[in-house]
Amino acid sequence: MKLEFKDLLIDQTRFILSDSSPAFANSLRRAMTSEVLTFAIEDVRVYDNSSALFDEMLAHRLGLIPIVTEYAGYTPRDVCSCDGAGCSQCSVTFTMSVEGPRMVASGDLISQDPVIKPVSDDIPIVKLESGQKVVIEARAILNAGNEHVKWQPTTICGYKNYPVIRIDDNCDGCGHCVEACPKGILAVVDGTVCVKDGMDTECSLCRLCEQACLNSGIGEKPAIHIDMDPKRFLFTMESCGSLPPATIIKEGLQFLKNQSDNLLETLEDL
Amino acid sequence: MIPIRCFTCGKVISRGYEEYKRRRTEGEDPEQILDDLGMDRYCCRRMLLTHKEIIDEINPYQ
Ligand code: SF4
Ligand code: SF4
Ligand SMILES: [Zn+2]
Ligand SMILES: [Zn+2]
Repeated sequence: MKLEFKDLLIDQTRFILSDSSPAFANSLRRAMTSEVLTFAIEDVRVYDNSSALFDEMLAHRLGLIPIVTEYAGYTPRDVCSCDGAGCSQCSVTFTMSVEGPRMVASGDLISQDPVIKPVSDDIPIVKLESGQKVVIEARAILNAGNEHVKWQPTTICGYKNYPVIRIDDNCDGCGHCVEACPKGILAVVDGTVCVKDGMDTECSLCRLCEQACLNSGIGEKPAIHIDMDPKRFLFTMESCGSLPPATIIKEGLQFLKNQSDNLLETLEDL
Repeated sequence: MIPIRCFTCGKVISRGYEEYKRRRTEGEDPEQILDDLGMDRYCCRRMLLTHKEIIDEINPYQ
């Protein structure tokens, strides 16, 4: 099994997983979306809310704010020594007290831990008119995306089989496939068609080129063939900002490893 | 209020709404504004394009 990064940006990555299987690729995708722990606001205590939004709406909006996550020193609440009561080991408290007229934003949330804070300060929460007031206390806990999407570290996270484009010798370079390709990855060079350098990953496997080739009257079979490599996968993943993409991949893989270790242990006990 | 995240993919889209609204009233092309805001998926783009802000209309009745 091999991981090869095409690009690794601060909040987005594309990587190729090779020598693998569809089952593993999908397990990795699911682990990254729903098993990696992040912080999100879970409990909200409303002391004062005279804004136009109901308390529940306010709590819902607070929950969806992505929060920068750092694991050191924190445990999930359901395995914490406080038995779920909530303590400084398993939860981070935020306080917010704003009076109108102005826009309440995520930057108004004051965290007890300077590291665990909203990913940006300008996410609007509610607009207050003069005389309106919001005073709340919120508690963020670690949990995973299978409980609620607000704990999901990724936004888009998916993969496709690696495209394999083959061109037969009987290609006459008519260029019909070049025109048909919606991604613009084909070109005619020296009387035959070829894939532009490094553009093969952009192919969406739509097979419009095969169709165009057939329609050009080449015969029974097209001269261009689109196949998928069953052992190579091209992943696209974007983080919501709570964790860097590399950490999400690492934590996802770690989860899969722990799961299979647990299974082995259980089997040995039988 | 503008939803915090895109309904479909979960990207935080609410941050760009103030800028979108300002530039939209200045008559700029929404395509250009959305491109500048880094919203490349159509799920996120429709969030800003189709949002109707009513907070100012309900605020007087609090
Ligand atoms: S399958 Fe679609 S995207 Fe890929 S080369 Fe053919 S036309 Fe282009
Ligand atoms: S349409 Fe067929 S014959 Fe024409 S350039 Fe493409 S692959 Fe070659
Ligand atoms: Zn605890
Ligand atoms: Zn979206």
